[in-house]
Amino acid sequence: MTIAMLGPEVSWYLAVSAFLFATGAFGVLVRRSPLIVLLSLEIMLNAGNLALIAFSRHHGRGDGQIFAISVMAIAASEVVVGLGLIVAMSRKRVALDVDKLNFLRG
Amino acid sequence: MLTTVLIFMPVAVALIVWLLPLSRLAAGGVALLASLAEVGLWIEALVRFDFDSSGLQFHQRQSWFSDLNVSYHVGLFPFSLWLVGLTAVVMAAAVAYAVWVGRERPRAYFGLMLFLTGAIAGVFTAQDLLLFYAFFEAMLIPLYVLVGVWGGAGRLGATVKFVIYTMAGSLLMLAAIIVYGLQQGTFDLLEIGPSSSDWVFLGFVVAFAIKAPLFPFHGWLPDAYRESSPEVSAVLSGVVSKAAAYGFIRIAIAKFPGPTSDLRGAILALAAIGLVYGSLLAFRAPDVRGVVAYSSLAQMGLITLGVFAVNDLGLDGAVLQMVNHGLISAALFLLAGMVERRTSTGEFALLGGMARGRPALATVLMTTGIIALAVPLSSAFAGEFLILAGVFQQGWGWAVVGAVAIVLAAMYILRMISGILHQDVGPAVPEAALDLRPGELAIVVPLVGVLLALSAWPAAISQRSFPNDQPQQAVRSQFRAVSYVVRETQVTLNVSRGTP
Amino acid sequence: MIWGAWLCLASPLAAALLITLGGNALSRRGAGYLATFATFVAFIGAAISFFSLLSHDAGDRSHLSTGWTWIAGGSYHSGFSVLVDPLSTMMMLIVSGVGGLIIGYSIGYMDGDPEERRYFAYMALFVFSMLLLVQGGNLILLLAGWGMVGLSSYLLIGFWQERHSAIAAAKKAFVMNAVGDATMALAFFILIQKTGSLDFGDVFARQGFLGGWAINLIALGLLGGAVAKSAQLPLHTWLPDAMEGPTPVSALIHAATMVTAGVYLIVRTHPIFEQAPKIEDLAAGLGAATLVMAGLIALVQTDIKRVIAYSTMSQIGYMFLGAGLGAYANGMFHLMTHAFFKALLFMAAGIVIHALAGEQDMRNMGGLRELMPFTRWCFLIGSLALVGIFPFAGFFSKDSILAAAMDRGWYGYLLWVAGLAGTFLTGLYTFRMYFVVFGGQRSAFVREHFHHEGHGEGPFSMTSTVATLAGLAAIGGWIQWSPFWHPVTSWLEPVARPLVEPANWMEWTSSGTALALGLGGIWVAWLLYGARRPRPVPRVAPVESALVHKLYFDEAYDLAFYRPAMRLSLLLGRFFERPLIAGTGRELAEGSVDVGRGFSRLQTGLVRTYVLAIASSLAVIAVVFVAVR
Repeated sequence: MTIAMLGPEVSWYLAVSAFLFATGAFGVLVRRSPLIVLLSLEIMLNAGNLALIAFSRHHGRGDGQIFAISVMAIAASEVVVGLGLIVAMSRKRVALDVDKLNFLRG
Repeated sequence: MLTTVLIFMPVAVALIVWLLPLSRLAAGGVALLASLAEVGLWIEALVRFDFDSSGLQFHQRQSWFSDLNVSYHVGLFPFSLWLVGLTAVVMAAAVAYAVWVGRERPRAYFGLMLFLTGAIAGVFTAQDLLLFYAFFEAMLIPLYVLVGVWGGAGRLGATVKFVIYTMAGSLLMLAAIIVYGLQQGTFDLLEIGPSSSDWVFLGFVVAFAIKAPLFPFHGWLPDAYRESSPEVSAVLSGVVSKAAAYGFIRIAIAKFPGPTSDLRGAILALAAIGLVYGSLLAFRAPDVRGVVAYSSLAQMGLITLGVFAVNDLGLDGAVLQMVNHGLISAALFLLAGMVERRTSTGEFALLGGMARGRPALATVLMTTGIIALAVPLSSAFAGEFLILAGVFQQGWGWAVVGAVAIVLAAMYILRMISGILHQDVGPAVPEAALDLRPGELAIVVPLVGVLLALSAWPAAISQRSFPNDQPQQAVRSQFRAVSYVVRETQVTLNVSRGTP
Repeated sequence: MIWGAWLCLASPLAAALLITLGGNALSRRGAGYLATFATFVAFIGAAISFFSLLSHDAGDRSHLSTGWTWIAGGSYHSGFSVLVDPLSTMMMLIVSGVGGLIIGYSIGYMDGDPEERRYFAYMALFVFSMLLLVQGGNLILLLAGWGMVGLSSYLLIGFWQERHSAIAAAKKAFVMNAVGDATMALAFFILIQKTGSLDFGDVFARQGFLGGWAINLIALGLLGGAVAKSAQLPLHTWLPDAMEGPTPVSALIHAATMVTAGVYLIVRTHPIFEQAPKIEDLAAGLGAATLVMAGLIALVQTDIKRVIAYSTMSQIGYMFLGAGLGAYANGMFHLMTHAFFKALLFMAAGIVIHALAGEQDMRNMGGLRELMPFTRWCFLIGSLALVGIFPFAGFFSKDSILAAAMDRGWYGYLLWVAGLAGTFLTGLYTFRMYFVVFGGQRSAFVREHFHHEGHGEGPFSMTSTVATLAGLAAIGGWIQWSPFWHPVTSWLEPVARPLVEPANWMEWTSSGTALALGLGGIWVAWLLYGARRPRPVPRVAPVESALVHKLYFDEAYDLAFYRPAMRLSLLLGRFFERPLIAGTGRELAEGSVDVGRGFSRLQTGLVRTYVLAIASSLAVIAVVFVAVR
């Protein structure tokens, strides 16, 4: 209770989180370089983390923080796989452009 | 415990056959021994079975996931006992035939056959809806492979059809099980109460109607029965179709007295149409297996008539006829296989005259055939008689249709017998084609022998197919549902007819 | 002494099983001896039952012995039980006695056939089935025997399995009998519903509670079975074709025993028929119609066995007439004498056919008088007994049936006239056959093909049987001469009390008229076929053609049932099964492929499209969520 009172209202955090998320989503949508798409994804994940932690603090419970930690762990592993893929692509001299990677067209 | 052994002994041996690098001979031998052991286990169960008791016997229960009240719960009612026996005997004959013929890729083949045995035994003994579903699906998977890999030329088409039909049925059943179980808060067949939902009932009925098959859900039947290897056809029509009839008895009418009573007319009509329709098509079928396949459709219609007569006569007759038909169609498919091995065709146009000089083939085929056409004194006659006497009480028209179909059955079976055995020697019948070898006789004669024994004493099954319904035991009787349904529907019927 | 009945039932079955399982271990001749021996053992069993009944009082001559519960369902159950009472012992004696004689005859007749063992196994199976039919202690066992005799009849008619006509005839016989079985089964369903039982005692005791329509339907169903089995109108067409079987088979099954089972059925279930007098009259009427029709058709047949077959139909018509009128004992008595003289005729004809290398066409026969004197005399005795000439067997039994008809009002007189017309026809067709086969000049065929096997006119097994039967046909009728003594009637009285008791003047009138008409028939036959210079046979072309075509029954049934069924089956296959049922799978598959192709357009392969779709859907969902809240 007391902790929740300190600092700004939860809505501020949410606003920042929403802004970050929108930025990330925009980046995923408009950028063609897989590296940047990956970065934007990280931003989106962190926006989620921010919201989780803000709510956790708001409710005074630890659940959100646990979630955030798992998200970070997943994000880390995702980056490992993603970067690995990108390195592999550049080694195979595949164009680093997501629009050209359309092998799954039906 | 015995029930669990009945289910998992074959499965365990299947794993052994799959995993160990056995030779062809060893794989077949182990499989044959295991299926004979299954028959032995069943005889053990038969000897120890208490037909005077009213409850579930040899039962075992382990909680599986307790949140939903799902448990591993198996046990035997008298009619499940007979069906398990049918499974054991027919599977043993089928495995023996496969050993005799020498199937390709023996380890995979015999493993699948054994796995199938266990799964079917599971279907007939499961006392939990989800467990029942699991066994039902486990039964279908090996069948897909058996039809699709070891079948004849058109096996892929047959398999695809079979898969599509049965998958559709299974999904309906799964949906019905989930809705029903969640509504009732348990999946245990002994605890679950009756439901009045027509839709759930229809889900089950359609699933079973596809598996049986009942008219008009039999699209998969001609191809699957023609394209499979003979022993797989024998299992399909002899045993697997009985799982559907079992489902009708154990689930559809036992748990849904209201919907049964409401929709019985429609189901009886479909069964009766299937009976006549199957008989007519069997009469036109150009080959042996076609005749047996369509006669199987007709027979399943007849059995369904008996089940949905929902009275003691009809149900007792239906259980008897399930065993009869299982043995008959298995024997006929195996015999068809033996004929095809000699002539490499099953077409009547190319067959004929095989009786001369082949007395064993002629005698066995003739005996099976005349039992199949339900000549009075045969056990098939006893079954059909009880079924029709039962369904007669729901309306004389059903019995008249049944009687007509029996005359048709005489026609198509005689046509089949003559087409193989009599008149001119067919162009596909080589002069040197042998009589049945001792090994082949050892496979079919036991089936025919059981049929003859049942002919002498059909009451052995029909009198012992349902637990006694004595009032003081009725409370404990785990199978009160059927007697309940029988009583309820009789009352409704009488009310609707205006008699007290 | 009920074990006698069980012995009687078990012995032929054991023989059939032994011959089947024995296979080559048993010599062909051994199979014949085994079957004959077993049937005579059955006869001994029947005799034991008979004498043990004799030692009981008339009121205590019904013994039921139940072996085990044979069929059961719900509260209904029937035991596997044998009934020993005057009626069943009488039938047991006839079946096993005549059966034994005929199977013994077959040893000689079938000698040299490559499949003798199968033949004797079937014959033994038949005797078992027939005994089961007559001994069965309840209706369901009666039906079981009923079906089994149909089965053995099928097997034996089609014994020569390479012959197309034999197999077709066998199938026809079986299917027509299956129709009868089905109507009987339907009658039993009504009985089960109404009385809950199929035991004779229960059914007869409770049938008084049955409503009018129910009892009529039951009687009609039973009559359907009887008519099919006994080849009466309208289910008679299978019997002439059944002559494709070996001659002893025709003698045993299609003359002496199985085809008369319908009469047994009516007598056995007479309490039911008596409750349904209309159906009883129908039975008598069908009998009368059949006897006249069969007599007419027999006039134009050329196959010697077919003439005798039509004669059988005609004689069974008399039995139906008697049983339908309630003259049960008279019907049964005629059944017995008929078994003697008709078996004799078939056996004697069998010797002729045997001697002529299998020829059955009478047009190729002639002048066998001197060549086969023994056969000729036996055949003559059989013919006289068949026509009912004093003092041969048919005289006593047939005339008492006619007399019974006179005691039944105007309907009875109508039947009486039909019966008398039948007598004339019998004389005519029987002696036409006799004169054509034995009289006249030896035909070219006879000169060419006639041969004796060994000494005499046939092996001992054949001639001894024929001689025995000739003796029975000559004197067997003296057992009962209605005006003077009637042991058969009083023997059967506890089972079936007759409904009619003709006065003595009726007996005399009938006997006199029938005798005169029979002699008249013989005289006409002599004029047309037997005299040294025969008169031309009067012919009316359309009538003759109709008779040769057996009044077009086969054609009519073909048109009315067989073809429509075939057509329906063909149409269902072509326009329903193949496109709709078998086709559904394919159409479903094609439909799903089309749908899938449509959806696959959405799959652009561009990750950003997907992200956009996800983001925009999310936005929409969020908006909806907020708005709805």
